[in-house]
Amino acid sequence: MLGFMDYVQNAFYEASHWNRDNSYGTLTATSRNILDFQTPDGIRLHVSSLASPNFATSYTLGSVGLVDGSLSYLYSSLPLTAYASKSSAIDLHRVVPGYRQLQDLRQPDEPRWWEIWHQGKRVDRREALLYGRLFLPRSTLEALYLRRLTPKAQLRVSCVSDSRLPNGGTILAHLQYDAAKHNTEYIYSTDSALLGVRGLYNFGPEPPLVEQPFEQSPDPTISTANEAVALATAPAPVRPNGRFSAGGEIYYGLLNKSGGISTGLRFTTLPAHTGFPYTMTLTLNPLMGNLSSTYSVLASPLLALSSRFDFNVYSYESELQVGTELWRRKSRPMPDDLDWARRKLGLPLLEQSLAKVDDADDMAGCLKARLDQRGSLGLLWEGRVKELLYSCGLTLDLKSAQNMVRGFGLEVQYSS
Amino acid sequence: MAFNFNWSPLTADASFYTRAQELLTAALNKSPKPPIIVDDILVNELNLGSVPPDLEILEIGDLAEDRFRGIFKMCYTGDAFLTLKTRVQANPLNTYLSTKPSFASPQPLAASSGLTIPIQITLSEIKLSAFIILVFSKQKGLTLVFRNDPLESLKVSSTFDAIPFVREYLQKEIEGQLRTLLMDEVPVIIHRLSQRLWLPDYREKEGQELARNLQDPTTEEKPVDPLASPPQDPVDVSGNILDASQIAALSLDSSSEMHALFSQKNLLRLGALTDSHRTLSLFTPGIRDVVFRAWAGPTERGEMLGSSGKATPATPAMTRSHSYTGSFSTTYVFSDAPDAGNHSTRPTLMSLGSATSGLSHASSKHGKPHGGRKRKHRVVNLRKKTADGDDLDSISGESSTASGTMSSAPSVFGGRPQTPARREDELITPPSTPDLLREQKEPGDGTLTRTRGLTTRLPQRDESADITPRASVHGAFMEASHVGPQPEEGKRPTLRPSQTLQYPLKERREQASPATLQGPARQLSPSPFAESPVEGILGQAWMTRMASEIARKVQDQEAAKSGFWDHNEGEDLPPPAYGA
Repeated sequence: MLGFMDYVQNAFYEASHWNRDNSYGTLTATSRNILDFQTPDGIRLHVSSLASPNFATSYTLGSVGLVDGSLSYLYSSLPLTAYASKSSAIDLHRVVPGYRQLQDLRQPDEPRWWEIWHQGKRVDRREALLYGRLFLPRSTLEALYLRRLTPKAQLRVSCVSDSRLPNGGTILAHLQYDAAKHNTEYIYSTDSALLGVRGLYNFGPEPPLVEQPFEQSPDPTISTANEAVALATAPAPVRPNGRFSAGGEIYYGLLNKSGGISTGLRFTTLPAHTGFPYTMTLTLNPLMGNLSSTYSVLASPLLALSSRFDFNVYSYESELQVGTELWRRKSRPMPDDLDWARRKLGLPLLEQSLAKVDDADDMAGCLKARLDQRGSLGLLWEGRVKELLYSCGLTLDLKSAQNMVRGFGLEVQYSS
Repeated sequence: MAFNFNWSPLTADASFYTRAQELLTAALNKSPKPPIIVDDILVNELNLGSVPPDLEILEIGDLAEDRFRGIFKMCYTGDAFLTLKTRVQANPLNTYLSTKPSFASPQPLAASSGLTIPIQITLSEIKLSAFIILVFSKQKGLTLVFRNDPLESLKVSSTFDAIPFVREYLQKEIEGQLRTLLMDEVPVIIHRLSQRLWLPDYREKEGQELARNLQDPTTEEKPVDPLASPPQDPVDVSGNILDASQIAALSLDSSSEMHALFSQKNLLRLGALTDSHRTLSLFTPGIRDVVFRAWAGPTERGEMLGSSGKATPATPAMTRSHSYTGSFSTTYVFSDAPDAGNHSTRPTLMSLGSATSGLSHASSKHGKPHGGRKRKHRVVNLRKKTADGDDLDSISGESSTASGTMSSAPSVFGGRPQTPARREDELITPPSTPDLLREQKEPGDGTLTRTRGLTTRLPQRDESADITPRASVHGAFMEASHVGPQPEEGKRPTLRPSQTLQYPLKERREQASPATLQGPARQLSPSPFAESPVEGILGQAWMTRMASEIARKVQDQEAAKSGFWDHNEGEDLPPPAYGA
């Protein structure tokens, strides 16, 4: 389950029109969500609040042997009102990452759309997000600075300060250019001066230009001339069924003179696809001879399956992992099937059957399970009870007769 | 003190290597491993090399038989090497990222995917320089602690020497790991290893350097053990005669057991014997290799005065007459009496001269019937004893007194302290040659001479008779031989390994030489042969026998000396009499 701060950051991405999925780093996000989920360890309690549309706080108290905790604050220059912040109202799909359905690409905003002029002067500022988190007993400080430099670029600087780290901490600068059709990222880490470049290219037609947001006439029945022309000349939008992407990354540590390289392919269906959505990826690390293929499928709105096969051509080591994600709808009194009878009898319909519908996608919880060939089984149940979001995880080792339970944890989250 | 550090036996022992490898493997896998190592570390090969480390003793804090504590300075630049096998993560990015917080990690997609490779690492050219604190305890084994970081330098060669990053990384990681290993794990390993070596098998311990250090003190204390000085013809419980080598082995192993072996049966007999004397019963239990000697002399009288009211005043005369005839005095000498220490009652017995007198008196009365028989056999046994020198004599005296004492004689103690002076006088008086000595040892003779001496002094003795049971020359003997200048009654009886025998020991050694043998001779009357022709004949026979005995003994001694000098020394000691 995503923490509240991650949830808020995602809200910031959406509010600033940043497409998180269009990056080489998230090429395998779907299978990772289903196969590599983290099970909580020990008992952990989060209390969070979006005190104002721009400011969020979160406190964590955990107990794994000894009590620890963290304080975190977040400031966003964009008001984050698009998403509910109350834990009773948060959409579970947003905090429980699962199968990621990619959306149609969309052209980045025109820079001029961001311009705000006031009395002959440009007064607009770059949107930014500041985030800090202090882990208390360990005195570790995490800081994040996120800035949308241009509609196509984003700078992300994350820092960790910890006396136990070499040099007392590390800073990672991450510059991303997203031009919809292709995406490039540049990475620099102060730790051993690691340089990295990532790129992703989406095959297929150029995404359609987003229409200029017209000045809507107050009266919707009267369309402006502009609009009429646009409507008339707009070609019927061709929505592709799927998208094929290829990317690669390369890293090089200047100080330790070591590096890494990998390439990847992905094919995923888009919403226009009429069958069940699926995603296939293939990544290759040519240096280390590592080959990894995944196949994930959203069999129904409530069920996603994923499998991954890793193979190393040098050491002949292989690994197979399968996982599933099963959603459960909130149990509600079924609208009785007697409505037709009431209608016929002229009786008034019951209140509840009228009220149903709207939050049909409200989920009660989600069960994730994964199993690998070494007999390690992970189970995670996430859901909502009353106002609380909870996440309950269990790790089992099926092959060891004694001491099968490797980890167990419970996380409870409340936000307002 | 000499320290002998033996390097090669340690390295030559094959089982040592296997054990050490097991322990090292366990130790290496116990501590958290660096992220690059993704599998268990196996110790493939271990060789301590042929170059021993240089050890410099800085301080010895504690040194005893069963413990040792010292500080050493150790420098090692030898050819030892160690080969490890494990599997490592070959992707540097993987290991690099695994140590970084995920928050600031670039989170590569697949560039950090792992590749595990089996690797063989050889650690060689190990240079150590450390201060070592070494603590040894017999019960707890060996504890070794490094006071500082011992690792000076080390060469790590591996399969990945071609890749500089990997090599540096391995070098760094392994050095760090080895440091913790040396500081934390090696002491544990050595401790366990020492326990394995020590506990099951005592001998191996001696092979170890430490035990070697400790050996000197142990050997010095060993002669104190009564069992280390076995009697001439020792007997075990079943009555089998043991030879010296067996005895040596036995006494080495566990003295307490031996005590039990020897004492129980004989004690019963002793008890029966003393009872028989008290009750005047005609039955005396046969005690193997034992001669019970009844002294006829003023001692007895004194004794009787002091302790046993039974004795009649007339007895002295009787004994005297007996002694003159020399033939019929019955003497019981307990030749095999190793377990003196067993009986706490001994102290009382010590005064024995007096006690014996009572006994001997009684025996003399009804001793005649036994007399002839005894002479044939037991007398001979007595001679064996005497061969050793006066010690044996003294023993016999002791033992006889012991038997006697069972019944009586507490009062005598008071008198004792005074006796030494007079005895010394006696010592001085008769000069004699070793030969004489031997001859004099003949039972009849011995008794005769002694009694004679006693009789001459009788008048004086009578005055002091109540105080000192002096009459028994044996007592004097014992005192002179066993105890130093100032004989302490209390110590004597115990005969325990501890203090008493330390001083006498030296004397014993001297006595082992012919010259020292004279000591006892002096005490005996100057002219043994003059007494009676019968005894002269007997004496000759006995002499021949003694000559052979002595020859045998010298051989034994020499043989024993080569291996076990303390045992040898022990032979000089008086075989402890039966404690009563």
